[in-house]
Amino acid sequence: MTAVWALTWKELIRKRVTMMTAVMTVLFWIAYWFVAAAIASETNSIVTTGIQVNVLEKYTISAMVLTIGFFFGAFAVAFLSIFSSVSAVTGEAETGVLQSVLSRPIKRWHWFLGRWLGFVSYGVLYGIILFVTIILICKIETGVLFEGIVLLKSFALFVSVVPLLVSITMLGSCWLGPLGNGIGMTMLFGMGWLGSTIGRFMSESMIEREGIKTLETITGLIQLAMPADALQQRMLGELFSIAELSGLFNLNRAHSYFAIGAIPSNTFLVYSALYTAIMLLAGLLVLRKKDF
Amino acid sequence: MSIAAIETLQLSKDYGDGRGCSGVTLKIKHGEAFGFLGPNGAGKSTIVKMLTGLIKPTSGEARIFGHASGTLEARRRLGYLPELFRYPAWLTGEEVLAFHAKLCGLDKPSARKRSRLLLDEVGIGSRGSDRLKGYSKGMQQRLGLACALMGDPDVVLLDEPASALDPVGRHEVRELLQRLRSQGKTIFLNSHLLEDVEQLCDKVALLNNGHVLAEGSVEQVLGSKNEWRLRVGGYTPLASERIEQMFGAAVKVTMLTWMDESAWLELELADDEQIGLVNGLLVEMGVILYEVSKVKSRLDDWFMQAVSGLEHRGERR
Repeated sequence: MTAVWALTWKELIRKRVTMMTAVMTVLFWIAYWFVAAAIASETNSIVTTGIQVNVLEKYTISAMVLTIGFFFGAFAVAFLSIFSSVSAVTGEAETGVLQSVLSRPIKRWHWFLGRWLGFVSYGVLYGIILFVTIILICKIETGVLFEGIVLLKSFALFVSVVPLLVSITMLGSCWLGPLGNGIGMTMLFGMGWLGSTIGRFMSESMIEREGIKTLETITGLIQLAMPADALQQRMLGELFSIAELSGLFNLNRAHSYFAIGAIPSNTFLVYSALYTAIMLLAGLLVLRKKDF
Repeated sequence: MSIAAIETLQLSKDYGDGRGCSGVTLKIKHGEAFGFLGPNGAGKSTIVKMLTGLIKPTSGEARIFGHASGTLEARRRLGYLPELFRYPAWLTGEEVLAFHAKLCGLDKPSARKRSRLLLDEVGIGSRGSDRLKGYSKGMQQRLGLACALMGDPDVVLLDEPASALDPVGRHEVRELLQRLRSQGKTIFLNSHLLEDVEQLCDKVALLNNGHVLAEGSVEQVLGSKNEWRLRVGGYTPLASERIEQMFGAAVKVTMLTWMDESAWLELELADDEQIGLVNGLLVEMGVILYEVSKVKSRLDDWFMQAVSGLEHRGERR
């Protein structure tokens, strides 16, 4: 299993996935730093004019900076997870490589789990880098740093989409070719994001009450099929301790895509964890039975 | 009684669209070289894949040294070269072998040693450190062969091993397979190159539309007669009569053609020793002997005869 895991890392490095991701991440950091500096400078100008800026205002500004950072960060982590694992099974089978590997004295589930661990560890490592840098840039520009335990909780939620997306993508790759699987997964992820966006609009009362029940059902179902974006919402909820600060400030006052909608419950987190495990298990079972 | 290296019993695979194979029963002894023949789409690769455990049979069973195919025990004894494969271009030949060595459970020093040996043996040598994007199809094929041999398997399953090779490469692969055979490896060769099969294999089976049409030793399936061709000078029909009088029914003489004052004769003999006696008799009669050669029946002639007039599903539209 470790040999397969190591080879997966080698693949991601040699196929220039790492290089492309690094280049795009650097571009993101530059753009994000610029945005963070621009937002923070508004606060500083208020300070120089002699008006006392209270802690809550500063906190709200940092929350806005982080929300923007994690909005893009979530997309980056999600697409890396999807496109790194998109050809895991059929792509290998089409080139005949899988046949020469699976005829070796290794259990099929060992190979599958080795690949899964390779993609997940790679995605999680990227998630760490992105998470830390987003927090650091925000700290430098706004001076706000959250508590360690809060950061740890939100980090766990931020990278929880990696195993989720890798598990679904690898299951899809048991049947679909790389192109079909890639399109399918992108659309599924897009649906999940759309579900959350509609949820945000509903929570901001931008959508009229009429028919809201139907929409709630639809968004609920979408989020059950693809919980990735909802997990990101919960991550932001944890980071800004929205439950504890309820009533003190409102992040949704900007009425934007970056607003935080309804925060998913703990039950939803349990569901997401189970969903990930079931997808992984289904992939293992399908591979065990599949003819190559 | 020793356990067969490869044994299939009523092995069948039904894909539901008319493809696959049905009731294939084969027995290959340890150390034998077995040629598996058949037109395109006959089901040869399906059977090879069932032996490796890549495809699950619909019914019947396959065993490798008594272990059910697909089990770890069976796969430990196997080396397999797939028909169509393309190793990742971002790896080097040595890395591919190192990865397969790990899968075979070899430790690092043994893997490195075996990798160097195999790279030399298949003719890749020092180019093993190059990335595969610089490898030709033939080099990839040689690397595939090296991978198949990495675990020092008792049974080598080769699906078209020489299909992408030039004549020199084919010759080298044939020599390598001969060496493996002399080392006591069991070789299961699935090939369209009948010349290779004829030179290497002890036994052959012919598959068409998923069914075994014929099976046996190469001599058996060819039904070879002990025939010789002679080019002689100063020949008269009297010479033929003398030979037949001397050897009786054991020798049949046929005159084929006259060419430039010499005649081509075909003799059917009971055994090879008789050719010496016939030679002596002809010299005694004053006939000049220019050329003597044994007539070899060819596997491709047999193959063409065996499948001619039959429908091949590989050609169906």
